[in-house]
Amino acid sequence: MNAKLPLLATDRAALILQLVPYLIGKGEVSLSDAADDFDVTPEQMRVMVEKLTVIGLPGEGGFWQMANDLFDIDWDLLDGQDLIVITNAVGLERTPRLSAREAAALLAGLQLAASLPGVGDSGVVQGLLAKLGRGASSAPADVVIAPEAVDDVRVAVAEAVQRGRALAFAYRAPDAPVTTRTVDPVKVHIAGGQWYLQGWCHLRQAMRTFHLDRVSDVRITDIPTTHGADAVPELFEPTASDLAVEVRYGPAGAALLADFVVTDVTESDDRRTGSIRLGDGRSLKRIAARSGGDLEILAPASVREATAAWAQAGLDQYR
Amino acid sequence: MATDPSRTAPEERLVNLVVALMATEQGLTKETILTSVAGYREQHEAGASKDALEKMFERDKQTLRSLAIRVETIGDYADPDDLREARYRVPTEEYELPVDIEFTPAELAVLNLAGGVWSESSMSADARSGLRKIRALGIEVDAPIIGYSPRINLREPSFAPLQRAIEQGRVVAFDYVKAGDGAARRRRIRPLALVEYEARWHVYGFDLDQDGPRTFLLSRIASAVEITKTAFDLAEREDAGERALAGLAEVAARQQALLEVAPGTEAALRLNRRATPAEQGIRVPYVDIHVFADELASYGPEVRVVEPDNLRDHVIARLQRLRDVHVAAGERE
Repeated sequence: MNAKLPLLATDRAALILQLVPYLIGKGEVSLSDAADDFDVTPEQMRVMVEKLTVIGLPGEGGFWQMANDLFDIDWDLLDGQDLIVITNAVGLERTPRLSAREAAALLAGLQLAASLPGVGDSGVVQGLLAKLGRGASSAPADVVIAPEAVDDVRVAVAEAVQRGRALAFAYRAPDAPVTTRTVDPVKVHIAGGQWYLQGWCHLRQAMRTFHLDRVSDVRITDIPTTHGADAVPELFEPTASDLAVEVRYGPAGAALLADFVVTDVTESDDRRTGSIRLGDGRSLKRIAARSGGDLEILAPASVREATAAWAQAGLDQYR
Repeated sequence: MATDPSRTAPEERLVNLVVALMATEQGLTKETILTSVAGYREQHEAGASKDALEKMFERDKQTLRSLAIRVETIGDYADPDDLREARYRVPTEEYELPVDIEFTPAELAVLNLAGGVWSESSMSADARSGLRKIRALGIEVDAPIIGYSPRINLREPSFAPLQRAIEQGRVVAFDYVKAGDGAARRRRIRPLALVEYEARWHVYGFDLDQDGPRTFLLSRIASAVEITKTAFDLAEREDAGERALAGLAEVAARQQALLEVAPGTEAALRLNRRATPAEQGIRVPYVDIHVFADELASYGPEVRVVEPDNLRDHVIARLQRLRDVHVAAGERE
């Protein structure tokens, strides 16, 4: 949530236009709830509500506006209990149309939602696409999310999450042997077109993240999940036991590091040096290879050597 | 803070203007607006020039336009070009969400999920603002859809100006680096759609120099996007998204790599999902040779490119650079 920045006058005007129908719909709402709903601080919300009371219809024939020409609120409730109640509205009661951009943002999100098993096949999405198009003030730019094939693994995982049943599957992490896992599924993450399952792993007795491309032989068990409500860590959150790796990189490497937290960054010419933490150093040679050498591993030596060996083994196939 | 009593905050003036222009059926003359709408009136009374106030009104109309609010001008019926007696209004039916659009609790739950997919971008603020408008309709919502956390990454700074140009129907110009080619070249296109395909953002449009439809990777745009004054017919946008997808699918169908993959490896897991079996290995379609070469290089010894030759050369070049960087610098130390 990055919206709690100073707002421009235009943004504030847009928020005030949305505020009136919102307040009428709510009847009574606390300052903090309204602030949350509008992505502003309670103080910004208070200023906005106060400002509303000097807004209204023009006065008749050049006279100053009368009290009932202006929006008004219950001041006692605002000052005494931080509650907002609108007591006089002189227009704007109905919610404004969506701007083309608001419609585009929601339409694109819907396309992704449509690809989720159990969400997209309910028929709801099609109706929504039409309504949003009609509710926009002008035709939104086409922002298209290309549909991805949903395979049996994704369907089974989604079903297990909804039904609250543990999953059994074979898991092959890169550079590791296949293991058989039983997992209480908690959440399916979709990021960068990749699907991940977060859940409680019975084998490791801990929350783990599984890339669904590496899952096979999936089966929904009859075991009810017991950790389904546990908090899940952020998808790429580093943990204390992780390995620190020193890297040097240019623009292509930087793009591949976007999901990592890079610390101690120094910059010289076009290249940066920094440190990242990750659970398993073995996967880094793959990331370095994807950058075609734009991401260089400086230390530890074992990871650096593994990367050189990875490149050499790849090249040996073409002799 | 300004203490001059004749100055009203601009957002107050803008909202006052909308309220006034929506409350009138027949429209208000400019004279009435400038002397009676709060925000203008104070400045008029403080002696601001008519010229300055008229400019302010023109700017405010533009600003409202950016908020998707159109100020309608009703001219003199005898002489449509004569704007001296023009009246202005905001048509309620254009401003308000149509009354017959209603959302069910189940639809609102799906919309809440859809509105949350954008991370760290202007689209995120737009989605939230759109959701706020819909929620203000006071609809009940079903329990949130749990178990999913879908995200769309959008980090390209060129996205927002391209989207604006598509909305307005304007030709854009930008420097574009054709991968592997190094030098950036100026391109001019009529932008028609933005497409996320295989987790990468593309702009689809009509290339004015190549005289045909083209698709560009946003990550290879090497300059700011210039929105030119040249307009094009918005009708060209019709079905542009579908045409873009069809174009990408057609490229993928035409470009097929023949690969040998070591069984049971990461490469096999990832590539077999998209592959069809061949006599010697598997065939995998790809859209962009450089993007695909990056992926294949990441698999190191787990995959060998049989054909085409240029793809094999690209993969070998990446692996050589990777080895040289990690061996040569090591020897220096």
